Amino acid sequence: MSKRQVAMVMDLNKCIGCQTCTVACKRLWTREEGMSHMLWNTVNSQPGRGTPHGYEDMGGGFKDGVAQPGRRPALADYGKAWEFNYEEAFFGGAANTPLIPQGGDPGEGPNHDEDVGAGEYPNSYFFYLPRICNHCTHPACLEACPRRAIEKREEDGIVLIDEDRCSGYRFCQEACPYKKIYYNELRGVAQKCIFCFPRIDRGVTTACSRQCPGRVRFVGYLDDPAGPIHKLVHQYQVALPLHAEYGTQPNVFYVPPISPERYGADGVANGEMRIPLEYLEYLFGKRVHQALALLIDEREKNRKGEKSELMDLLIARDWIKMFGPFDRHPRSIEQVQATA
Amino acid sequence: MISHRIAAIADYLSPVAAGWRDVSGEQVPLMPAPLAMQPTEYVRKSWERKPYGQIRALGVASVHDGRACAIRLSWSGVAAAGSDFPDAVALALPVRGSPALALMGAADAPIHILRWQSNREGLRSLLATGIGSSRPGPEIECGASAQADGSTWQIVVTRVLGAAEDAAPLLAGNRTRIGFAVWQGGNDERAGIKAFSIDWQDLILDA
Repeated sequence: MSKRQVAMVMDLNKCIGCQTCTVACKRLWTREEGMSHMLWNTVNSQPGRGTPHGYEDMGGGFKDGVAQPGRRPALADYGKAWEFNYEEAFFGGAANTPLIPQGGDPGEGPNHDEDVGAGEYPNSYFFYLPRICNHCTHPACLEACPRRAIEKREEDGIVLIDEDRCSGYRFCQEACPYKKIYYNELRGVAQKCIFCFPRIDRGVTTACSRQCPGRVRFVGYLDDPAGPIHKLVHQYQVALPLHAEYGTQPNVFYVPPISPERYGADGVANGEMRIPLEYLEYLFGKRVHQALALLIDEREKNRKGEKSELMDLLIARDWIKMFGPFDRHPRSIEQVQATA
Repeated sequence: MISHRIAAIADYLSPVAAGWRDVSGEQVPLMPAPLAMQPTEYVRKSWERKPYGQIRALGVASVHDGRACAIRLSWSGVAAAGSDFPDAVALALPVRGSPALALMGAADAPIHILRWQSNREGLRSLLATGIGSSRPGPEIECGASAQADGSTWQIVVTRVLGAAEDAAPLLAGNRTRIGFAVWQGGNDERAGIKAFSIDWQDLILDA
């Protein structure tokens, strides 16, 4: 059991699906050989199959506390890292040369359901769901590994794979119900989101949170009453885990999306939420109703000009406070190293 | 099991070398490593209804020339292309003390393992002091030559004779013990999901 738990809250009302988080992570951590298919951070349009495609049907996790068999995602399930004919399209000299994926059948890209959504016009809908490793309190990956190659750090609960101990058996991939563990075929080891621990260790928040233009991601300790995480998860209880029924006690939480009203047959908005509540309940559990009700109440307070600490927190007027104690500028760390 | 003295190990490095025809070997019975001994609940649960370790016997023959030892291993079970995991075979020798093969050794009684797998060249030298504990073992002069003949693997594992820190003693004229394990990659076998030789076999090296 870790002494403390670092956690993340993502406000789905603010995610614009720009993938800046994905790119920030990719550039920082997964540019080496054997990692081309790895997106430790993904953002998927929902409803959709997510990444890897159909991960919710791949098993793993725990049921009544008992480990459940799962399957390993195939490489194709992650979506190909497409190569395009940039040279030909941009500099080839021929007019109307389309930009097309190279290498035969392109298969399905990582966010293959992008902006597809569901529902019929004018009641169509979608929202974005960013995902990273959940750094679970009860990590199925760690418990599955016969090599004891996965540890949960005592000081902050970050879950890490020891690549020197990992033998590439991939039980962790099967056991993780979120399918957020990737296999590096070249190196024969499993790899995954490390919650930017080298940054966290120096008081700098994760790259995905710091780079997010939408101010979607809060970072901090779950037990810090002054920090944003504790307020959103425990005090206001508007941030909920994804698929809590998987039994791993994830430490990434989501503020569920409030959707526009549905239009009735008469073309008049009827007060119902356009994203079906059953779907949100499927993702975030029954507490989603209470969370949405409070979010809507607090939003109304704000509209009336009344003070709402919750809305102020979610709007994130003071950006740097989103990161709790991890508010150092990454450049300040480089300066420390340069003078050391 | 006898490691027969021959003139030159060089004539036995290939599994199809003519010399092996005159070397008497034996079939070592194998069984699935028990589910109850798998170290994690996940592994036990995910394999409780799935057969594994179905290779029932491993053909073993051995020769040495006083400097190096060759062990020829053969079994039926070549994985189809595209398997996620490699076919593999390992032989284990006790380094010191009386390690239990099924427990993969103990802290004061390590096991030295030479492991061949179909997706990499050569052998891996590993040291184990318990289930799930294997780690890079002693650097030792060793090698492997493998050939898939239809559905049958034929592998020759070679190792220099002698003894050193953490390298299991293997000496002409001496008796030691040897154990085996086989993984069928096409059946997703890896780690403790394997067929193994249950207990040690005596291995006597001709003087």
